Amino acid sequence: MKFLNKQTISVLLGLVGLILPQFIGFEGLEPAGQIAFGIFLMAAIFWICEPIPIFATSLLIILLQVFLLSEKGLFASSLIESGYTPQSYKDFYGTMASPIIILFLGGFSLASAAVKFGIDKTLTRFLLKPFGSKPHFVCLGLMVSTAVLSAFMSNTATTAMMITVVLPIIAQLDKGDPFRKSVALAIPVGANIGGIATPIGTPPNVIALAALRGQGIDIAFSTWMLLAVPLVVIMLILAWRILLFLFPPATDEFKINLDAKVDKSPAAIIAYIIFGLTVLLWVTEKIHGISSSVVAFLPIAALPALSVLDKKDIRSFSWEVLWLVAGGISLGLSLKHTGLASWIIDLVNWGSLGSLGLLIVFGLVAYGVANLISNTVSATILVPLAVGLGVSGAAGADFNMGISIVTIGVVVSLSMILPISTPPNAIAMSTGVIETKDMAKSGIVVGVIGFAITLAISLLYWPLFIK
Amino acid sequence: MKKIYILCVDDEPEVLQAVEQNIAELEDSFPILTAESSDEARTLVKHIADEGNLLGLVLCDHVMPGDNGVDFLIELDKEDVFYNTRKVLVTGQAGLDATVKAVNEGRLNHYVAKPWQAEELIKIAKDQLTQFVIRSKINPLPYMMSLDAEKLSEYIRTEGIVTDR
Repeated sequence: MKFLNKQTISVLLGLVGLILPQFIGFEGLEPAGQIAFGIFLMAAIFWICEPIPIFATSLLIILLQVFLLSEKGLFASSLIESGYTPQSYKDFYGTMASPIIILFLGGFSLASAAVKFGIDKTLTRFLLKPFGSKPHFVCLGLMVSTAVLSAFMSNTATTAMMITVVLPIIAQLDKGDPFRKSVALAIPVGANIGGIATPIGTPPNVIALAALRGQGIDIAFSTWMLLAVPLVVIMLILAWRILLFLFPPATDEFKINLDAKVDKSPAAIIAYIIFGLTVLLWVTEKIHGISSSVVAFLPIAALPALSVLDKKDIRSFSWEVLWLVAGGISLGLSLKHTGLASWIIDLVNWGSLGSLGLLIVFGLVAYGVANLISNTVSATILVPLAVGLGVSGAAGADFNMGISIVTIGVVVSLSMILPISTPPNAIAMSTGVIETKDMAKSGIVVGVIGFAITLAISLLYWPLFIK
Repeated sequence: MKKIYILCVDDEPEVLQAVEQNIAELEDSFPILTAESSDEARTLVKHIADEGNLLGLVLCDHVMPGDNGVDFLIELDKEDVFYNTRKVLVTGQAGLDATVKAVNEGRLNHYVAKPWQAEELIKIAKDQLTQFVIRSKINPLPYMMSLDAEKLSEYIRTEGIVTDR
């Protein structure tokens, strides 16, 4: 048994990261900032090296914040002496039930009902039908269906479901037909891109929205969709053409089984109605004015109340994903409140970059990092820094903080070079139909073009909505 | 990651070899062990448990010198660590009584009559291991390629074994 394995080294490194800043006096960093810096370093090391699950790191962050930085914490009095006003411990706990987390939970509850009654499968058959049976269009159909579902459900669950749809298609194709790869890649690519479309599509969106709300920028569900859907549509069409270019079909036509059994039990019908009603209320937020976080509690409460979801279904929600996000939001609170974010930002002279340069730098770092580690974590680390940049004014007056936050939230979803980049990639890879180099090829092309398009949209289109 | 073993038990070396050959394509994902008697099988099984690994599937003959296959399977079924292990009887000689006993007391999962077809055996092995992965709540991604990928995807979809991150 080796003691110095990767896991123990990562743990030790993380602990050093936590403790070291407390002994090194950093100029311009108050004691509270030093504690926050330690927590930040430990979290970053744990999130990157993953000696413990990433959601466990998020929970550790909240624990450390409550013990070390809150008004009820161990150092409350000495922090107050140093001129810092500790936050209430309720602020940190509150992240776990913040409106944006409840919105996400509402999405989970809908997704759970969707899986239970096969709404996702029925919808897929319905969405695929108009695309016929020509290989080109089937590929597009698969991407569109995957994207639509992953906009409202988890990208991973959507991918798993779509894999059951594409495996019979792949089985019909000749072993040497490159189109097998197009079909297998269409799913993760569609899921990764589709997640961008709505606030609840994927956890990084939630991180971005929470940061925006923290800055008093309230973006409605429909406004996010107005920002994101055009990007998603352009990206899907481009990615489709890219996949077909890289892996063109050798057959003209094949069979695709679209027979769906629609569950018509009373519980299923209630599920359809609540699903439809919730989504309708979400996308029409601007018209009726009821916040999407308020609407989100409708499915959370109504589905169990009407016996559509039972105890077992509620237990199977991906609670750890909520906690992962909550810990990230909580870390962001301290980064801002202790002045750590601004301090980190001030380490670098940004002035020479200009606002466009800043957007590119942040976007590139987010994109690069997210290819290697969790998308949520990438957004969690970078979004507070963008906030710091905006707050400190180091970036100059024309720096649009809101747009930078959304940009970071979006570009992490474009990271799809490696099997480890996202769980949908890992699932597609595990089917054995594609090799890493195929994924890398399509991932790089889609990612780089996507990055450029995101940048263009963020400069030309988003300013219409985010001032 | 815990290893998931396949154990083949038969007193005739040629038969044992044939079983092993038929399921050889699984070897990369599921290391295959062979035993020529229940006693030998017991030693191997104990070793697997001691190392903290898993036993996914047993393909076992019935009539052997020493303890017979059905008794070995029933014994195995009583052990908690092998609760999810899939048990297949591969035999030409188990009578009705022994087979009923294996089903009722040992929760036998499948019965293969000798002589068998190679495609039949590999299909059964894949189906059983797929069930093992699902029932043991193991992350299915490393096994998708060698087992029933459709069933395992469905399992990810419904159980949320892999989640967004």
